[in-house]
Amino acid sequence: MNHYTIDQIHTGMEECFTVTVTPEMMEQFYAITGDCSPIHMDAEYAAGRGYPGRVVYGMLSASLLSTLAGVYLPGEHCLLHQVDSKFTRPVFIGDTLTVVGTVTEVNETFREITIRGEILNQDGKKVVRATIKAGLAQ
Amino acid sequence: MDKNQILDAVQNIFRDNFDDDTLVITPATSAQDIEDWDSLEQINLLTAMEKKFGIKFKLEDVRNLNNVGDILELIARLSA
Repeated sequence: MNHYTIDQIHTGMEECFTVTVTPEMMEQFYAITGDCSPIHMDAEYAAGRGYPGRVVYGMLSASLLSTLAGVYLPGEHCLLHQVDSKFTRPVFIGDTLTVVGTVTEVNETFREITIRGEILNQDGKKVVRATIKAGLAQ
Repeated sequence: MDKNQILDAVQNIFRDNFDDDTLVITPATSAQDIEDWDSLEQINLLTAMEKKFGIKFKLEDVRNLNNVGDILELIARLSA
């Protein structure tokens, strides 16, 4: 875990990490949210809608933005204020996602940073674009 | 920029932040009058104003803001 303070953060700073989506992650996400939409639960149904397999929950992918802020950028001192996400491409089980965060603004008065978040699949295609605002504890 | 122009610009920021195109603010408007105006929105509002007016608030500037009138006076002072 990183421990950046507001004084150590500057525009352009970048952190990233990689995660591979597993069937267990889908089960755990379903257990937490109760989202039983067949597009996420039923491979045949998903195939009928033209997808090669079950579509990973968009919010599962977006949940990695919580990890980005809380563990990597800024890490320990983070308190998440806001996340705006766009799901630009579907994600499938087995995809390896690279989560990248780049600091675009630092407001020392309000102790808040703005991070451009991007999640890319193993082909380098963006699957999520996000703007994240995170507060930093003293 | 005179006070009415500042009020118009600040009103647009409020409307944008609270997703309410009918919102009308006056100098007397405070967080008591707008349900979603909490501490997080206060930061969003003030950072949007910093960008709009090209100013930078200091902590001592924003500590005792009680209503829109206080914000308007602060912006007028910093952008003078």
